[in-house]
Amino acid sequence: METADLTHHISRRFNEDLEKVRNQVLQMGGFVEQQLQKAITALVEGDSRLGESVATEDYKVNGMEVSIDEECSRILALRAPAAGDLRVIVAIIKTITDLERIGDEGEKIGYIASRLATMERPADKYREVKHLGRQVAQMVHDALDAFARMDSQSALRTAREDRMVDEEYESIQRQCMTFMMEDPRSIRRALEMMWVVRALERIGDHAKNICEYVIYMVHGKDVRHTSLEDVAKQIDISTRPQS
Amino acid sequence: MKAVWTFALARLAGILLLGVIVGLFVPPAWLWLIVAFSLYLAWQLRNLYLVERWLRLRSQLDPPAIGGVWGDVVAHIVRLHRRKQFHKRRLAQLFRELRRSTAALPDGVIILGGQSEIVWFNRRAGNLLGLMRPVDIGLRIDNLIRVPEFIHYLHSAEFSSPLIIRPPMQAEMYLALQVVPYGAGQSLLLVRDVTRQMQLEAMRKDFVANASHELRTPLTVIAGYLDTLADDAGLDPAWEGPIRDMRAQALRMNSIIADLLELSRLEAADEEAGREPIDVPRLLERLHRDALARTLRPREIALALDAAEGLYGVPQEIESAFTNLLDNAIKYTPADGRVLMRWTVDADGAQFAVIDSGIGVPREHIPRLTERFYRVDAGRSRSQGGSGLGLAIVKHAVQRHGGRLEVQSVEGRGSTFACHFPPERVRAAVVVAKSRADG
Repeated sequence: METADLTHHISRRFNEDLEKVRNQVLQMGGFVEQQLQKAITALVEGDSRLGESVATEDYKVNGMEVSIDEECSRILALRAPAAGDLRVIVAIIKTITDLERIGDEGEKIGYIASRLATMERPADKYREVKHLGRQVAQMVHDALDAFARMDSQSALRTAREDRMVDEEYESIQRQCMTFMMEDPRSIRRALEMMWVVRALERIGDHAKNICEYVIYMVHGKDVRHTSLEDVAKQIDISTRPQS
Repeated sequence: MKAVWTFALARLAGILLLGVIVGLFVPPAWLWLIVAFSLYLAWQLRNLYLVERWLRLRSQLDPPAIGGVWGDVVAHIVRLHRRKQFHKRRLAQLFRELRRSTAALPDGVIILGGQSEIVWFNRRAGNLLGLMRPVDIGLRIDNLIRVPEFIHYLHSAEFSSPLIIRPPMQAEMYLALQVVPYGAGQSLLLVRDVTRQMQLEAMRKDFVANASHELRTPLTVIAGYLDTLADDAGLDPAWEGPIRDMRAQALRMNSIIADLLELSRLEAADEEAGREPIDVPRLLERLHRDALARTLRPREIALALDAAEGLYGVPQEIESAFTNLLDNAIKYTPADGRVLMRWTVDADGAQFAVIDSGIGVPREHIPRLTERFYRVDAGRSRSQGGSGLGLAIVKHAVQRHGGRLEVQSVEGRGSTFACHFPPERVRAAVVVAKSRADG
């Protein structure tokens, strides 16, 4: 397996630039992670102020995306990277787009949380949503860890979890429908909940995308729109000669 | 000269002498001299070869048994080698013990290099922060611990106190992280699990808040009946005094509970205070008017507005802090004394000071003034009916605005209580003037 060795350049400045932009991505990731956690907490605990603060802080994520994007264009223009370095830059440009989307979905959840806080809380206290939220947050966390460690195996493991998130999403969806049929007064809340679980499901997809970029970055294989079994095979083949 | 060297020189001289003697009988002499030299050289080379071979294959061979200077050299080498082995073993043992003891530490320890990359970490740190060996060695710590507060802390280079974070995927856990820099850009990162302490602290705060809240209801009932009793025309005159006292105490208890609730609210809001605009000059003018309207007050209460700037903060908290300071000054200043409120702004920020010519505070009591229920002397504020929480409230409110409370006092001459606010909390005067025109 290739490692996070970015130290092989003759130009020390180039190394520093790459390292810096990688750090910025992970810093942005950390902030997005925290936003997501706060949004889920705000929803589950009915904390409208926390929800609002998540919604108003999203501009920071956008700012980070723009500045990292600029930095990447600068590196592309000045250093004309090739091979592995080019893949790193391409993966970074894609990763920050997904991170920014995760931030947007988090903002949405925060906003809905601040609205839902004024309504009566359901009997199950959002247990299902809490569980799904935790699962998704863990996925984002693991995806970023895999990015930091350049670890394609754990990226693949994390990408696999997206299926579980999808299943959970469908089951909550069915549950919401049952609620709506049983008690029409809960329709409004159930609809809002649908938005939240939809957002969480989307975040799971974005986390999966980030995992795919990690695999691309490490192995140079574009694994989007391929089944995960094939990906596993491909990674296995490309790691076998070295291991 | 050492004996071996004398012997070696004697041997060389003997061989040369032998060559000369043989040369005298069987000329030519120079040939025999060369033969003698060559033999001597061959013998030396053989010794040198033995020593070199032994050094090369030291693990398999015993030291060569040769005498003379070469024997001494071999003996020296053997001795040096033994001593080195001994030190190496001792160091290795020391290192093993050191590692074992740090691994057994109840706290996590991470050694960070100059780029804050992980050089080494013990098992506890790995468990607490989810680090993996060996893949995480050499990675930057802020790539793995991505909590924004931690990244900020790591780059602030201000490590006097630990940072408390909640690790992302373990929301019910609290970790205290502290960086300890040491030589050559390296630093130690200490990780402590403070979940229990934080829970206890939260329980204490909850208890105070709940207890105060629960006490309020019975007290309202008691105070209500006391009011009715006091207004009852048919009351035995002998009961008038006791009931008046009871009403006063009930009132005082009420204010203590109000202060306790205020204090626990300030404590519970652990993040920094909000940033609503506050028109401080107007607030102070109002406080000044209210103070002048009191019946029991020092002769002179002055207001010096040296600045037109305002603050960004929570209006209720700022007002409560300023009111508490003013109340204290009025309470502890005799009727012929004076109290001055002053509002100033400079490059270091804004300052609100209350200067009085009251009874003052002995120096040894000043550091403890802001503790809850702290009394300078037992009789002092009981008689004045204070709750004993005023300065604690002021301190918390000011801290939440990034400021600090400063106390200067000379016993018998008066005190100065000053709240400093940082420049970023100061609100420009232009806006104040405009909002005044609006209002």
